[in-house]
Amino acid sequence: MKKEITEIKAVDGYFEICLKINGLTKNLKVKNNEFLLDALRRYGYKGAKKGCDTGDCGSCAVLFNGRPALSCLIPAFSAHGAEVTTIEGVGTVQAPHPIQEAFVQAGAVQCGYCIPGMIISAKHLLDANPAPSEGKIRKYLDGNLCRCTGYVKQVEAVKLAAKKMRPD
Amino acid sequence: MPELIIRPRTLKELWKILPTISAKRKYLAGGTDLVTAANAGFDACDAWVDISGLKELQSVKETKTSVLIGAGVRIAGLEAWGAVRRWLPVLTAAIPHFASPSLRNMATVGGNAANASPCADAVCALCAERAEVILELKGKKRRLPLSALFKGPKQTGIKKDELITAFEVPKWPHTGAYLKLGPRAYFGISKAAVALAIELDGDKIKSASVALASVAPVPLMAVKTAGCITGRILSPETARAAAALVKTEVSPITDARSDADYRREMCGVLLERALLGCEERLKAEG
Ligand SMILES: Cc1cc2nc3c(=O)[nH]c(=O)nc-3n(C[C@H](O)[C@H](O)[C@H](O)COP(=O)(O)OP(=O)(O)OC[C@H]3O[C@@H](n4cnc5c(N)ncnc54)[C@H](O)[C@@H]3O)c2cc1C
Repeated sequence: MKKEITEIKAVDGYFEICLKINGLTKNLKVKNNEFLLDALRRYGYKGAKKGCDTGDCGSCAVLFNGRPALSCLIPAFSAHGAEVTTIEGVGTVQAPHPIQEAFVQAGAVQCGYCIPGMIISAKHLLDANPAPSEGKIRKYLDGNLCRCTGYVKQVEAVKLAAKKMRPD
Repeated sequence: MPELIIRPRTLKELWKILPTISAKRKYLAGGTDLVTAANAGFDACDAWVDISGLKELQSVKETKTSVLIGAGVRIAGLEAWGAVRRWLPVLTAAIPHFASPSLRNMATVGGNAANASPCADAVCALCAERAEVILELKGKKRRLPLSALFKGPKQTGIKKDELITAFEVPKWPHTGAYLKLGPRAYFGISKAAVALAIELDGDKIKSASVALASVAPVPLMAVKTAGCITGRILSPETARAAAALVKTEVSPITDARSDADYRREMCGVLLERALLGCEERLKAEG
């Protein structure tokens, strides 16, 4: 979708924005001081988590026009015309994505709060690079803080996911 | 956050729209500084002018003698450009030190400069690479050395409504390093950072620039230190001399991130390491 409109004005404190969420076109009414994370959660996309709210922890990461971005720092109006993928668009309980399966199988999930953001980062890596080195995996997950696991299992999970996703 | 967002698609459109909106306005690029400030209750505005759609700001161009980086290029986008990897080794080395991958997808090079924080990593690297900044106001352009743009913490010589459009870095055959000391190995604002760019003639330093972040009110060019190592052999003795001198050039403060004495000491350590790293590479290349 192209950004066609050059002016977005709040009416009674609300912006009307149109964007694609997980492949579907959606019209949202967002408050002028609302962030994409809060708007998404208000509309039921609760996968993205509110951790620090300052761009540090990565638990709010979504794919924004194809790249991981921190939805807690994106004013909701900025998403007008954008394509957003949340964890709900990656896979579901009934039909999980191989990365989600790998995180479960590797035992990489404890409290789970950081996992949606981690999987968003991992997906961006694996979609471009089917066999990343451990160093590369660690660099890609660098902005996703986890307070439970110590990261070892999550790096293993991404390696396992890479294997599952390779055609051979 | 303001109630009016303007999104011009071209510079021409931008200059046409500006006079029609409230004077209490600010440019919005990646938003990583502006939005966090607004969130904390600073910088209240009537309107934000979202410049992320301006095509003129989005690319890297190579000329015979220089590399031009559009102000709207995101930090994560830099590496995709061959000209950046080939001609800007210090900036390339700084990228992994800049926040996190997702933040790098949002933050722009222009915002890093306009925000004028003494700890700005891309700015510090670009200063060492001798970048000039190109500014435009209603079609009128001017340029100055990037390091001359800064007047103090969060203070620049940018005029009201003036837009940073690009950075121009001369092509000079240099190598270098970007070393940053933060709260963790990666991710986080620096306690101190050193950007080193040197041009070698055999094992002699033909030309050098040294820039430092987080150890002065502005991103600092260590002119004396660069002068002192110019013409000398790239050796452990030179590295030690540079380390001793650079500590006299910086003026760090004690704040939430670190204290002044430690920062000053680390400027020496980081610069020595950067020079020794270049020496090692030179030896390895034989
Ligand atoms: C969690 C976190 C971690 C961070 N870590 C780092 C780090 O490690 N290193 C580092 O250097 N920085 C870091 N930052 C700071 C920030 O990300 C950078 O300074 C970034 O480059 C700002 O760019 P932006 O596009 O987001 O700017 P914005 O927030 O959009 O704008 C910043 C300011 O510059 C003005 N502006 C923007 N573009 C232009 C232009 N072209 N011309 C004129 N004015 C303009 C705006 O009006 C505003 O005043 C971090 C920030 C956060 C939130």
